[in-house]
This record gives sequence, structure tokens and C-alpha cells, in this order.
Amino acid sequence: MPMTLTQLVVMALLQIVLLLAFVMMLVPLITFAERKVIAYVQVRLGATRTAGGLWGAQAGRTHKSRTLTGGLNGLMWYLGRVPMLSIFRGLPVFIADAVKLLTKEDIVPEGADKAVFILSPAISVISAFTVFSAVAFAPGALFTFPAWFPIVGGLPFNAFLTDINVGLLFILGISSVGVYGIVLGAWASNSKYPLLGGLRSAAQIISYEVPLTLSLLVPVILTGSLNFNEMARRTATEVHWLAIPLLFVGFFIYTTCAFAETNRVPFDLAEAETELVSGFHTEYTGMKFSFYFLAEYANMILVSALAAGFFLGGHYLLPFGFQTFLMKAGETAWFNQPSILFFLGKVLFLLFVFIWVRATLPRYRYDQLMHVGWKYLIPYTLVLIFVAALIRYIA
Amino acid sequence: MAASFLRTLIPFDIYGGMKLTGKYFGKVFIQSNRQKKRTHFTAEYPEVKVKLAPRYRGRLQMIKDEQGEIKCVCCLACEKICPTQVITIEKGKKEGRKTPYPTRYDFEMERCIFCEFCVESCGFDSIILNHQFELAAYNREDFSHGMEGGFQNMFDVTPVGHYSVAEDVQ
Amino acid sequence: MFKTEEMEINLGPQHPSTHGVLRVKLRLDGETVVKCTPIIGYLHRGVEKICEDKTYFQGQVWTDRMDYVASVSNNLGWAEGVEKLFGITVPRRAHYIRTMLTELNRLSSHLLWLGTHALDIGAMTVFLYAFREREQILDCFEAFCGARLTTTAFRIGGLREDLPPGFIKQVQAFQDRFLDCLDEYETLLTENRIWKKRTVGVALLNADDAIALGVTGPVLRAAGNPYDIRKAFPYAAYAEMQFDVPTRTAGDTYARYQVRLEEMRQSHRIIQQCVDGLPEGPVMAKLPKVLKSEVNEVYHAIEAPKGELGYYFVGEKGSQNPYRMHVRAPSFVNLQALPKMTEGKLLADVIAAIGTLDVVLGEVDR
Repeated sequence: MPMTLTQLVVMALLQIVLLLAFVMMLVPLITFAERKVIAYVQVRLGATRTAGGLWGAQAGRTHKSRTLTGGLNGLMWYLGRVPMLSIFRGLPVFIADAVKLLTKEDIVPEGADKAVFILSPAISVISAFTVFSAVAFAPGALFTFPAWFPIVGGLPFNAFLTDINVGLLFILGISSVGVYGIVLGAWASNSKYPLLGGLRSAAQIISYEVPLTLSLLVPVILTGSLNFNEMARRTATEVHWLAIPLLFVGFFIYTTCAFAETNRVPFDLAEAETELVSGFHTEYTGMKFSFYFLAEYANMILVSALAAGFFLGGHYLLPFGFQTFLMKAGETAWFNQPSILFFLGKVLFLLFVFIWVRATLPRYRYDQLMHVGWKYLIPYTLVLIFVAALIRYIA
Repeated sequence: MAASFLRTLIPFDIYGGMKLTGKYFGKVFIQSNRQKKRTHFTAEYPEVKVKLAPRYRGRLQMIKDEQGEIKCVCCLACEKICPTQVITIEKGKKEGRKTPYPTRYDFEMERCIFCEFCVESCGFDSIILNHQFELAAYNREDFSHGMEGGFQNMFDVTPVGHYSVAEDVQ
Repeated sequence: MFKTEEMEINLGPQHPSTHGVLRVKLRLDGETVVKCTPIIGYLHRGVEKICEDKTYFQGQVWTDRMDYVASVSNNLGWAEGVEKLFGITVPRRAHYIRTMLTELNRLSSHLLWLGTHALDIGAMTVFLYAFREREQILDCFEAFCGARLTTTAFRIGGLREDLPPGFIKQVQAFQDRFLDCLDEYETLLTENRIWKKRTVGVALLNADDAIALGVTGPVLRAAGNPYDIRKAFPYAAYAEMQFDVPTRTAGDTYARYQVRLEEMRQSHRIIQQCVDGLPEGPVMAKLPKVLKSEVNEVYHAIEAPKGELGYYFVGEKGSQNPYRMHVRAPSFVNLQALPKMTEGKLLADVIAAIGTLDVVLGEVDR
């Protein structure tokens, strides 16, 4: 059923709003998870109460925090006594974090290039959010609008915004614009630590863009497509069995590059806290800082989504093309159905790995980072591409 | 050669660290609801009280004997030994008491370094360092403790020290 | 059209990894350090001058506040220096307890170094693991003398009180799990390729330079010189203890890391010997009511966790106060090696070098 223009626009708007809401909600939740996971790794409890404020002060004063009448703090106390679920103790802290960031004073340092200073976080955050338009969270429709629904009644609500044939190219192109935000912001701050952080970041992202793209070429060669849905389906279900180890190795190389691309430990040189205070966003406060923050975590979600889509079997159950063997059981079996849950599960697991690695590893030095990128990762990925082409030739 | 190349290629060293941190994550994830027999090392402080050692050196406090009489006899040993001169004593007399009686015993906590030399030098066991450790206050005056004064004095624990072990003692 | 400039950057005094209020003025060419000038004095309190105005008994509390992560070692240096000045003989049991506490303090100081050094290089979890063990040691201090950080642990002539009941059990509980904990740190760091890349060959200091700069402690031993005052001029009960002095020859950050970890193992061994062979007897020597000295001068050095900690006393006839007191602070002397270690290297190596020198600014500035 072809859609009218009104239907098209309304549907697109609905999808955009849902997508933005999803990513924007996920980001503070990841920061909460980051606090909690790192705390648990470090044998402590992490955020356990509602970030002080009125409730916190009351908890300290009146000794009521252990009772249910102690408000949110009391509730959190009892949540903390439930096995496993106690990780959600202190959950409201993510709201408090967001409120704090949004209500903080917005400082533009003296001598800063004001226009660029304000523009650059926007560049970062816009490029980080735009790329999600080409990511397919599930291959088909999420649900169908009931017939009584105005304008879009009876139409399927797709789990992807666009289904363009050059999806991967679009993603890579737009996401690399984000580095301008970092470099320009660092330069516009008119401060020395951000400048060093920005220069590091520029060199790092440009050099890791190469192995990242090359490692993504492996699924591209194996599937012969650039469309997100197509690639996710074919790498999961239709690859030659020889490609399974290839995807496995490719996944690790891709993840390594993704860590560098998103400025995460062990490659977080741009914001190396113990060296550059806080790197390129040292001078940023309040809303502008939170834009960088959003962009960084949105980028993390993006690279996790790409890894999940092209290496971990996309919307299917098993990773690295193992689903190919399961497919013999028939299309109708539940484990052969693509699902948004499989996809999101993989993304969340990868986000957990991001945090887990941050808690474990030290940080590379600037020249060593370049060394790893140019001398190891790029040759490895070239070999992988060669093998991928060979497999494609055989199959 | 091949072995070292493989070692560069496959990060076993990183795997060991990841395994350790993963193990701790799992342990705390399962046990974080527990108060006893747990992996995590932090105390949930305002709700759960901390345990102090018997010799803990907290705030200076004056002791009264069974009759409610101040034990201090104004020998000025504590005033003399104090490395930061936080104690000021004024000697005086009280009716029906043979030994001298301190009319003024001032303790300026903002300078106190809690070394317990005063208690050590006291031959009459008339002062102790109690177990109170929540000593923060909003005003500078709140750090000056005398024998009188409703908010803070040398005999009671301060109201800010709400969760200390001293609370149980009282 | 284009011109390049060297950039001057102030690392500190408020910076996440200068361990206090150290200010390092760096002249950078890109990321390369051209010139490195440590600037100190932000925490100067005039301890040496203050001590001239205090009695020998009172002066000890100021030593707590010099190297505040190793206050027991500082107390030991002060107490033994004054005892040397007045010729006081300390009972054997007091010597053993002092040795045990000082070694526990060495562990706590090294644990703090390990944690912060690893944190500077980016491994944040080691920090909390090290603090977990340090907490147990501080609990032992709290049980012994009532304070965790500024201990004022010893008295001239011995100890104020004997060990509290249950103290040996507490120490033994720590001893039993500590070696496993050391293995955990090693799992996270020793073989880790990133840790090795960040530390091997970084901040080199060879033995000759180290001696020329007066550097002592683990930094000197990592350069290959086995100078350890515990062996060279035994004090307290160290003459009766069996232990090795670990050395490495590389003289880089990794070697210092290995030396300090090995030192922790040796400290563990010494504490075990103290616990097992603790003699009975009094803990306090007979002292005159008031200490008064003839004109006399004494230099007494001990092996603090950071290096040679020396106290120099000049007594005054008929006075209870020292006429002059001087501290040879290991952090202060070791900090001199920083420009030698970092010039020509990268910015990130400065952080590693500050971490590996293990300076405490309270002691540098005094």
C-alpha cells in the first residue's frame, strides 16, 4: 500500500521521536550502569542513594532512611536487600545527573571563540544522532498501527528510519564528522589542555578510522551489500562456514578500533583524566558539556550496534554466522526469527564490555596508540580483507 | 618467534585481568544485598554504623565521677603538654570541695590534632577522647567547647555526631 | 606563514595526578617535554622551625604530618633519633612491635603508591583493590593507637601501651590474605601489555645518576644499587630479621614497580617473623621525668617507604627543646630526579615519572 505524503511525514516524525527518545534515555542509563558496573568490579557498591539533595540531607539527619517512610531513600534501601535486583539501587541518580547537567551554569571562557565554542558540541551531537537513522533495530515492522489511528492507521511501524542501499557508507561518513566537533571545541576553548586533547583526538580518530572501515569491509565483501538489513541478515544466516573464524577475528579487531573511535579506555587519550585534566571538554560546562557527553555515549551505542549487526549475528540469535547451521531447522522455528530483542541484547552486552574494559585496563600513550593502529591493526585488517575476498571467490 | 608472535596476536595477558575483574563483578552482583559475608568492602555508612576500635581517638570530653562532680583538679598538665595549645584552664574554688575546681575549661577543636597527649598526661583520668568522629559544624563558634553552653560543651557529645558509636554508649 | 612555538603548560598545583600540590612547569614541543621544572612549597608549614619550639615529646605529632601516608615510619625516625640523643635503651618487645608496625606502614604506603600510580596510568581498579588492603592495615593502626592516618604511634623510650587484645589475630588475618591480594594486582598489571608499554623503558634513571642526585629507596634499588638502611645500618629489630633487599638493574618505571612489589613480599615476611617471635616483657624504658640534653648532635636515618628518612637533632644544654631539627626527607630529594627522568620524553611519561617517584608533597614541602 503506497503511503501518501502526509502519512510519510507523520510516520517519519513518529519514528524520529521514538528513536531520539530511545537513544536519549539509553545514554543516562548507560552512565548509571557505568557507575554501578565499575563499582561492583572495584568491590564497592556505587551509587546507592538518590544523589543527595533534599532526600539525602534528610537521610543523614533523621535516621529515617531505613524505613519506607524515608521516601525514595527508604525504597532504595529495601531494593538493596533484594538479591540481584540490588544493582538497581540508586537508579534515580541518572535523573539527578541529567538535571544537574541541564541546570548548571553555562560558562564561556574569556578569549574563547564564542561562535565556534557554541557550535562545536552541536556538531558532535547532531552527527552522533543522525547516524541512527540508518541503523535497523529489527529487519521488519515493530508493530502495526490499529486502523482507528489517525492518519497512519493500518500502517506498519518499522524498526528502522530509512532502508537506504548505502547505509554503511552513510553511517561511516556522518559519524566521522563528529571529530570536527571535538577538534573545533578544543581549539575554540582557548586553553592549553583542551588543545592538546583535541589534537590527540584528531590524530587518533583519523588513524583509527582506517582500520575500522577496513574491518567493516569484511562483512561487506562477504555479503556484497551496503544495506544494513541485508548485511545483518546475510552475515548471520548465509555466510560460508569458512567465514566464521574470519568474522570472529574481525569482530575483535573491529571492537578494538571502536574503542579508539569512541575515545574509551584503553584509548581515551583525548580526555585522559590524569594527564589532560579532562581533555577537549575541560572548559565546557552545563548543557554544552552534556552535548559532548551525549555524543560520546551515542557513539558507543552506534559502534555496539554496528558490531552486533555485522559480526554478532544482527537480529538473529547466534553470533558469527553460526545461525547458518540453525537455519536448517526451518524458517518458522522461534530461534530462527529475527527479533529486536536479540539485537538489543547484543548491543547491551557490548556496552557492558565497554564499561568492563574501562574498569580493567590502563591507558596507552599517544605514540603507542599510533603504533598499534598503523603497524598492527591496519596490516591485520588488510589480511582479513584478502581472506574474505578469497572466501567470497570460493563460495 | 612464532610463540611470541602469537602472544602479541592473542591477548592472554588482558584476558587474565578481564577474568579477575569479571569475577569480582559477578561476586558483588550476587552478594551486594548482604550485610554480612559479602565481597564488597564499603560500609553503607549513615544507615549502618561503623565499628570503631576501643582506643579510637575522637573528641575531647570531660569526665564526672559518681557524684556528678568534675574530676579535673586543674593541674594544668594537659594545657602544658598540648602541642597546639587548644586547652585553656582557669583555676578556681568551689564550696565543699577540697581540690581546685576549673571555673573555665575551654577546648578549641578547630586546632585540635587528636594526639591524645592530654589524656596521657592526666593523672586523674578526668578527660578522655571519646568515640565521636562526626565533628563537622556549620559555624566557627561551634568548634569552641567550654564547660557551659547548650549546643556543645565538654560533657556531652555534639548533636551533629548523630551516628557515632558514642550514641550507643549514652 | 606558519611558525611553530613551544608551549608552556602548568601541570598542577591542582591537577589530578600530581599527588597533592606539586606544580610542574613544562615546556612542550608538541607532546615532547623540552624542559621540566618542579616548583614546590605550596604545602610548607615550617615543621623544622616549629619543632625548635616544641619539646622532644611534643615534636612527634609534627612528623605525622610530613609523610602522611607513612606516619609510623616518621614516628619511628623521630623516636629513635631522640633516644639516640639521650642514650635511652628501648626494651626488646617494643623494638619488635615498632618493627611490625613500621613494616605494616611500609605496606600501606606502597599500596597507596601502587593504587595511585596505576590510576595515573589509567588502570582504575587496582586503586580500589589496593585501598581495600590498606583499609585493613589502617584498622590495625586504629586498634593499636586510635588513629588511622596521623598515628603518633610511638613514644620516646618505647610505646605508650602494649598491644591491644586481639591485635596479633587481626594482623595475622591480614597476613593470611595479603599474598593472594598481591597476586591479584600482578594479574591486573605485571603481564598486561599496556602496562608494560607504559612502564618499560620509561623515566630511566641509572645508578650513577641516582647516587649523584642523592636518590634513595626503591628508586635507587631499581637502578641496581642494593642500598637499604635496614641492612646497612640496622635499627629497631631489623638486625634479627631475615629478609632480602630486592634489586633490579633496568632503572625504569617497570623495574621500580617490580622492586616495590617484591618489597611488599619481604615486608610480609618481616611482619610474620615479628608476629611469630614477639618477645615478652615491658614496652617502655625507664625515663627521667624531664628530658634534658647536653649540647649534642645526632643524625639518625631509617629506611622509610620512600627512601632514606634522616632526622638531625642538635640539643641545647638545659633545654627540653631541640636547638635545631632537620629532616632529610626522601620525597624531597627524590623529586630532584624528575627533570632528569622526563626531559625529552612525552607528556604522558611525566605523569608516570611523578607516580613512580612516589612523592608525598607533605614531606617535600614540610
